[in-house]
Amino acid sequence: MAYAYLFKYIIIGDTGVGKSCLLLQFTDKRFQPVHDLTIGVEFGARMITIDGKQIKLQIWDTAGQESFRSITRSYYRGAAGALLVYDITRRDTFNHLTTWLEDARQHSNSNMVIMLIGNKSDLESRREVKKEEGEAFAREHGLIFMETSAKTASNVEEAFINTAKEIYEKIQEGVFDINNEANGIKIGPQHATTNSTLSGSQGGQQAGGGCC
Amino acid sequence: LVKQSSETRPRSLKVSLHPPSPSPSIPHSLFPFSNHARTQSLTTMCVCCSNLPAKPAEEAQKHRQQYEEMVAQAKKRELKEAQKRRKQLELRCKVEESIGNAAQTWNQEILPNWSTMCNSRRVRDLWWQGVPPSVRGKVWSLAVGNELNITHELYNICLARARDKWKSMPIEPVTEGSSLADREASLELIKLDISRTFPHLCIFQQGGPYYDVLHSILGAYTCYRPDVGYVQGMSFIAAVLILNLDTADAFIAFANLLNKPCQMAFFRVDHSLMLTYFAAFEVFFDENLPKLFAHFKENKLTPDIYLIDWIFTLYSKSLPLDLACRVWDVFCRDGDEFLFRVALGILRLYEDVLTRMDFIHNAQFLTRLPDHIPPDQLFSHIHAVHMTSKNRKWAQVR
Repeated sequence: MAYAYLFKYIIIGDTGVGKSCLLLQFTDKRFQPVHDLTIGVEFGARMITIDGKQIKLQIWDTAGQESFRSITRSYYRGAAGALLVYDITRRDTFNHLTTWLEDARQHSNSNMVIMLIGNKSDLESRREVKKEEGEAFAREHGLIFMETSAKTASNVEEAFINTAKEIYEKIQEGVFDINNEANGIKIGPQHATTNSTLSGSQGGQQAGGGCC
Repeated sequence: LVKQSSETRPRSLKVSLHPPSPSPSIPHSLFPFSNHARTQSLTTMCVCCSNLPAKPAEEAQKHRQQYEEMVAQAKKRELKEAQKRRKQLELRCKVEESIGNAAQTWNQEILPNWSTMCNSRRVRDLWWQGVPPSVRGKVWSLAVGNELNITHELYNICLARARDKWKSMPIEPVTEGSSLADREASLELIKLDISRTFPHLCIFQQGGPYYDVLHSILGAYTCYRPDVGYVQGMSFIAAVLILNLDTADAFIAFANLLNKPCQMAFFRVDHSLMLTYFAAFEVFFDENLPKLFAHFKENKLTPDIYLIDWIFTLYSKSLPLDLACRVWDVFCRDGDEFLFRVALGILRLYEDVLTRMDFIHNAQFLTRLPDHIPPDQLFSHIHAVHMTSKNRKWAQVR
């Protein structure tokens, strides 16, 4: 299907914070209470509309364990947006944000938009990290911030879409050089007339495909 | 979003076969769509429509005819399905019988004479067809060996040490000050991952029959090899072994399997060494499937994207479990070369589909393979993969 832009996203954060569940909720609109462990990287894709333009999100969902950091680092390249996720019921996942952020800043391009996400907001009774703390961290480091629940879908759409809006604004402002694919943005194939058969036909057989 | 349109049509067709619902509050699910129910609903239609004017004779005749045709068709379908079921049953009996025969051969002929027979042509052929589940554990143990000389006693010592460590550890989450190794070996992380290991089987999760066993093996390993610790992916390997071996023997096979050079490179996440494996894989990829290889290159689909999951879990997460066990059968015999050969077999099996898709669809396809993969077809594709490149074998390229 034709799109105006393609944005590459990467989802990062400690293991078990709900990265894959957020992705599943966003692409398939469902929640899996016990999700498979992610080893290496998994993928999701979905089309969204911003300012009347079709934008395809290509999302890289990474493994969270510390040991895999060296692998994850190679996946930042060419990402336009990052969702940095922690679990509001586990203080240690919040404490590790600084090292995640260092990694992200060091291995991505400087314009990458980072959205900080405090996930599992449905588990209010087990909360260990106050919303204000997340907001303060985001303010301090220049990130956008949201609390989400992959389980109830609260703010999940918003998290993915607001990140895209921010990237889109940066394109409009001329901050992103859209002709340089290293920025994680690709111009859609709508101008290419004959060679557009690749993206459509076979996608239907994959469950996680969303609508692309 | 464009998703909905394809779903709505067939549903409305189904509904139109029904009489109007007696009450709008009764959900459709109360009316199963079986043939039987459908024919019944045709007859009830006359009752609920009795206040309508009588049908003209011609129309009534037509409806009767349509009704009889539907019944005849339903009967035909049922007969066909019964035949299909019978055939499936026959096939299953045949398969069971051949598994039984093979198990007998393994138990009575091969296992007692392991060292002389294990490399014979006949055994190798039998091995390729899949080791019967009843002897699988024994064959794996023998094939993997015990280079590390681990005894049951040593396992018990490691386990006891792990238990002591867990007892002395605070239950609350590990704080920032604690060392990396502590965090990695943390009980919490292993617990979290066990719950996410084959969740659909419901046997490794808390309260399930193998929860403690899996926990013990992983914990014991962190004490046996504190330099490696617990790394994600290990839980799948341990789980598959537990399904085929007693706990201590599963631990011995686990530690010896992970001690193989390829597995060590991956579980220590030695990135540069992993890259040399990927580079060697690409040599054989290009050799075996040049067209697909070029397509992947063009789309910047690098092998790490799909190989990491496959190699780390030895396919146990990505292939159906019975098929994964067949892969393990030959892997235990042939070593890491076979893991990469299987990868090429998968790519070969799906070559047509993969050459037609773009980056994201291929990446999604390969990181989540189809639920149903024909085992014999996959194995014949694996068989067709040749593992020599310019007269060099896998070990030489690597």
